[in-house]
Parts: sequence; C-alpha cells; structure tokens
Amino acid sequence: MIQLHDYPLSGNCFKVRFLLEQLGLDYQSILVDFYPGYEHKSPRFLDINPLGQLPAIVDDGEAIRDAQAILVYLAAAYDNSDKWFPRDRQGEVYQWLAFADQLTGSISAARLHDAMFYRLDVGKARSDGVRLLRVIDEHLWFAEKDDLEWLLPLPHPTIGDVACFPYIALAEEGGIDLAPFSSVSRWVERFMRLEGFKPMPGMMPLPMPKETP
Amino acid sequence: MKTSELEAGWFPAGLQNYVLPKTAGRVMIFDNDIALWRGEDGKIRAWENRCPHRGMRLSYGIVRGNTLTCLYHGWTYDGAGACAGIPAHPELTPPKTIRAKAYRAADSGGFIWVANPDETTEAPSIEGDWVPNRSVHIDLAPTSLNELIKGMDAELALKITDRAAVVRVPGVTGEILLAFLNMKEHGAMIHTSIPASASVDAAIAVSKLTGRLRQIFKASSAA
Repeated sequence: MIQLHDYPLSGNCFKVRFLLEQLGLDYQSILVDFYPGYEHKSPRFLDINPLGQLPAIVDDGEAIRDAQAILVYLAAAYDNSDKWFPRDRQGEVYQWLAFADQLTGSISAARLHDAMFYRLDVGKARSDGVRLLRVIDEHLWFAEKDDLEWLLPLPHPTIGDVACFPYIALAEEGGIDLAPFSSVSRWVERFMRLEGFKPMPGMMPLPMPKETP
Repeated sequence: MKTSELEAGWFPAGLQNYVLPKTAGRVMIFDNDIALWRGEDGKIRAWENRCPHRGMRLSYGIVRGNTLTCLYHGWTYDGAGACAGIPAHPELTPPKTIRAKAYRAADSGGFIWVANPDETTEAPSIEGDWVPNRSVHIDLAPTSLNELIKGMDAELALKITDRAAVVRVPGVTGEILLAFLNMKEHGAMIHTSIPASASVDAAIAVSKLTGRLRQIFKASSAA
C-alpha cells in the first residue's frame, strides 16, 4: 500500500490526498507534526526526504518527494483513463505544475507567515501571489469565453488544476483576498463541487449541496 | 467592525456574473465589507458582511432557496435580511430585531450596483443590451472618472455616474461600459461591459486595454 507522509493543514499534501482518492487508490496516511513539532526536519523523516519537505510518498519501497512530482508519478502509474495527465498535452500540464510551484513560493509562504509564524518578507510573498493570481485569472477568463471550465481546454480537470487549486483556495489564510479575481473564484467553486471533493481546514466557502433540500 | 455609510449614489460593485444564482460573494466598497448573494430567484442582495450573531462574514454563507445561512452557527436570514431560524433553538421564532444590515442592490448594464439603504435615487438604468465582460484588479484607484478615461485613451460618450460611463476605446468598434470601484487599501477594480452584439475579438481587445491600466494605476513601490 502507498504510504503518504502527510500533514492535514498542508495544501501540498491535500493535492496528493485528492488525487489518490480520485484514482481510488488505497493509501496509509502517516501524520508528520509539521507545526509546531517541525517533525519534517527530524532524522526519521529526513531519511525519506532529505529536503525535509512534505509531502513524500513511499510506493513499493520507493520514496518519491515533491507534490508536483508525486502527482505526475501517480497519474502516470495508476490513471488508465489518461484523464489526469493527458499524454498529448504534457507541455501544458507541466506549465501549470511549474506555476503551482510558484504558488508555493508566494501564497503558501504568506500563509506560513500568518498562520505558523514563519519569519519571511510577507509583503513580497503577497504581491508575488497577486501577480500570479492576475495571470491565472486572465487565463481562466479566456477559458470561460470558450465555454471551458478548467486550465486545459478539456472537459475535465487535470493534475494541473489539482496542483494549483489548494494554495489558491487557501489564499485568504495568507491575507490575500480572492474576491478581485472573479474567474479564479468561479474555478475554485467548480473544483469544490467535484465528485468526491473533501475540503481541508481553511477552504471556505464549503461546497454547496448539489440540490437544495 | 465599521458600520459606516457609503458615500451617496450607486457604486459599480462587480460584474453581474461575479455572483451566480445560489452563491454568495464579497466586495469592498472603500473600506466597507459587503456580502453579495443571489437566491434561486436570481435577485441580487447586498448586506453588511457580518452575521449579527458572532460577526462571521456572511459571504462565506450557504444559499438555500432564497435564504442565506451563516457558515458559523447556521443562523438563517430571509431575502430581506430578517433572521428566519436559529438551529440551536429550533422552537424559537427569532425576534424581529435580529436582522442583517441590507444595502440597496440592483443589476443594470451587466454590473451589480450597490447603494446605501436610504439612497433616494434609482439604480442607473443604462440603455442598450449589455453583457459583463471583464473585471481587472489594479493597485491604485483613479482619482476621477476623467483620469480613468484618459488612462484608457478613451473618449466619453455618456456619463452614467461619477464612477461609470459609456465610452469609445481605441481599436474597438462601438461603445463599451466602463466603471471603477475604489477599495482603498485593497486597491481598485475596473469593470467593463460590452454590447451583446459585440464580437469575441472586441471582448478580448477591451480586456487587454483594461489589463494595461495596471501599468498606469500602480503603487509607487511596485515593480
């Protein structure tokens, strides 16, 4: 069984949990006390990921680190539908995986500052985050013009959407208001309505019931 | 939490499709935090973004039918802002004094408009068939409609309010609807609508022109 070294408040761990569940894979979540225990810097965890970063998975004895790399690995190894990581659109997918890395360096950093008291330049983290939100908002605005709903011109989300989603949905925890980015707000809402979506703490508003009771 | 009034008149709070039926959203008008929501009836409502119970943002709330339920403890408000139910006291008919503060709100010209509860004028009625085009966030608000029009190289056709006008812009045939909203320390929004008959190329051209305003109305410290 796949072991996921996991932290419930990590957006990068959320991505991996989401894809594992979408692919219907059994996995064991091994909790790492990221804050305040800094267990990801402990010798036990550094044996799995010498970078001391979450998440990491161990599949059949093989350790794989980095959220985006794990998404690629899982989709390539276990997704027979070719839906999450379409083979003929790899360039576009990688573009959004790289974008997600920049979200980690900006919005996620601002959130670490606000919620977990990390010492860093939060003004720069927020303005970098806003710059990225403007770019993805414009991209999604163009998509909406073509009646499309996801980052790639396909009728379903890919690991590109999965990679970018959590830190955008959690932006308010880093002091970044999503309201000015209306195409992004609608995309977040759509993502939260996906079948099997389970929110993590900080993801609000909660997905709505499909039908009014 | 501030409960002060807005300046007089109607404010362009966002594009009509910013808040879809059965959803809630949020807008800052100057430093007034306002929840926008639509029920199943599609009617737009604008309330102070604060549940009278514990101060939770109502924009996080859940819309069911034509009511809004606060995410925190489930207090439910009807379309007019009156509390209609408190889950912890299912037998209680909530007192009439428990109300969300409601602003006036209306849809017109592809925009959502918001004004004080006691605003005496009607929301701008804008001739023609307009569809929402694009909202763009900028760092600094223009000081006036004229400054915005100048920044966009536009030509005024018809002033609607101090914050909105029908204008002609370079490279686009026909007129567009242009408005700005000052959100103080949250920056500002530029909203555009285009005629329903406009082409996709026109929509994209207007979007690009709006995006360029970021270079003009930017914070002095921004790169």
